[in-house]
Amino acid sequence: MHRFVEHIGEVELELKAPSEEGIFQAAADAFAELADGDPVGERCTRRITLSGDDHALLLVDWLSELVFLAEVDRFVPVRVTHFRVAGSSLSATVEGRRGRPAHLVKGVTLNNLSLKESCDGWRARVVLDV
Amino acid sequence: MAGAPASSSTSELIRLDETCWEIPAHSGMRVPARVFADEELIAAIRNDRSLEQLENVATLPGIVRAALAMPDIHQGYGFPVGGVAATALPDGVVSPGGVGYDINCGVRLLALPLSAEELSGRRERFVHELSRSVPAGSGKHGRLALSRAELDAVLREGPRALVARGIGRPDDLEQTESRGCLPGGDPAVVSERAHARGAGQLGTMGSGNHFIELQRVGEIFDAAAAAAFGLAPGQLTVLIHSGSRGLGHQVCTDHVRVMDAVAGRYGIVLPDRQLACAPASSPEGRAYLAAMAAAANFAFANRQAIAHAVRETVGRVLGVRAAEETRQVYDVAHNVAKVERYGGRELLVHRKGATRAFPGQPVFIPGSMGTASFVLVGREGAMERSFGTACHGAGRAMSRTSARKRIGGAQLRRELEAQGIVVRCPTNTGLAEEAPFAYKDVERVVHVVERAGLASRVARLVPIGVVKG
Repeated sequence: MHRFVEHIGEVELELKAPSEEGIFQAAADAFAELADGDPVGERCTRRITLSGDDHALLLVDWLSELVFLAEVDRFVPVRVTHFRVAGSSLSATVEGRRGRPAHLVKGVTLNNLSLKESCDGWRARVVLDV
Repeated sequence: MAGAPASSSTSELIRLDETCWEIPAHSGMRVPARVFADEELIAAIRNDRSLEQLENVATLPGIVRAALAMPDIHQGYGFPVGGVAATALPDGVVSPGGVGYDINCGVRLLALPLSAEELSGRRERFVHELSRSVPAGSGKHGRLALSRAELDAVLREGPRALVARGIGRPDDLEQTESRGCLPGGDPAVVSERAHARGAGQLGTMGSGNHFIELQRVGEIFDAAAAAAFGLAPGQLTVLIHSGSRGLGHQVCTDHVRVMDAVAGRYGIVLPDRQLACAPASSPEGRAYLAAMAAAANFAFANRQAIAHAVRETVGRVLGVRAAEETRQVYDVAHNVAKVERYGGRELLVHRKGATRAFPGQPVFIPGSMGTASFVLVGREGAMERSFGTACHGAGRAMSRTSARKRIGGAQLRRELEAQGIVVRCPTNTGLAEEAPFAYKDVERVVHVVERAGLASRVARLVPIGVVKG
């Protein structure tokens, strides 16, 4: 699940999930909620592959990829149909629509970035510049 | 070059004088943190984490004198918005986060040869035509189709490359900070992703707090300076607020990651990863500065292309002569790092949501859609106290979420129109997020800037039409 935390200037995401993979899916859900603009565009699918040992940075890269696709390809994600993080590799398939993303995310910051496992699952925080 | 993390914003805040407050250096801070504000603004500033962020900035290797904040400071990411940090060259650091994602976001003011009275019944049509002429919203593409070679020329030269194509005029360049071109802009260090995000976006406004505002000069405070800037009571002005669009956003994204990876190699320990930095003289520092200059040049050119569209709109609605006589008052950057000399030393001045305010230079402080904006002139005090800097706006006082909860976009539109402001905005949600009450009192912010001796008021600009991004 995701929650938008009060932030006076930007958008701060709080993510919770039973697994690390769930955090990445929750991040995509949050981005989809932000980007959701024109839901009637043509359906399409995007494959995303990323790599990195630092999984907090991998989360930043994952969101940055969605930012890039929204801006350049007008791709608004709807759901993640395949997702796998193994070691330093991430692969995913994202279904969405081409349209007009409602919100522009300028960048995914490293400010107060965290991704960690706790006693009740996984938690992450990430701040987006909007 | 190690600095331990700074502690939280519960630190002691000492009042140095009427408008300046200081947090003495402690816990890894290499210099004090200083804020220009009055009592009421300080109380508002303490409601978010901006002072903690300013203390973190004070830990940057090579920072000199103090980490500074303007009266419009609010919480950002890494640096606070309204933050200023100067590092000593050659080995002081450069921090891409200290410039931000929207590199050279800034404002440009145009003065029309007409009064608001002369505009009269054509106001609604003029604002509507402005909204049709300048694409707004997320990821929008403009009307300028540039080849890769043409885009790279813009990255090297800024708006001069557009003037050669008949977009803007040579005298516009004279009225632009750094004549619209930061030296060393190098397309080769701008990634393919950045090129892809920026391609086609020249001449577009973007979203969020970007805008084009139609105004009338409501009051003159300094007749001599107003005359020098070509401003008279009742005159129409157009204020353009935009930046480097996706190209600049990607340059920041790319280089924050590079700096995050190499900071440890230079022995740099930071309290916040978004402050990632490297010595300005290092290969990574030089690469960022070349990419940042390229993005800044793109932003100057973007505002030039928007201004050209405004002039074309003036021509269509108000006549060709009015378009020919529409002058650029000035164009200033808000988010940039520049090499400047203070006290015989060469410093790299990071301005994150702050405006250069050299003596005699026009300074613009936009209000918040329903409130006035101000033209100021930079003063000597800025050179002595703030590395030649003043604030860049009113500063947010409320989150976008809270603003949306408090008012709907449709209602805000009605309220603004009842105040005599014609509004065009792609979405009601975007409009509500930028509601005037979400910002600090711009009059109070401007008074602090003036009392601190950083800049003094020249004119008040009253909004009569706004096109929001």
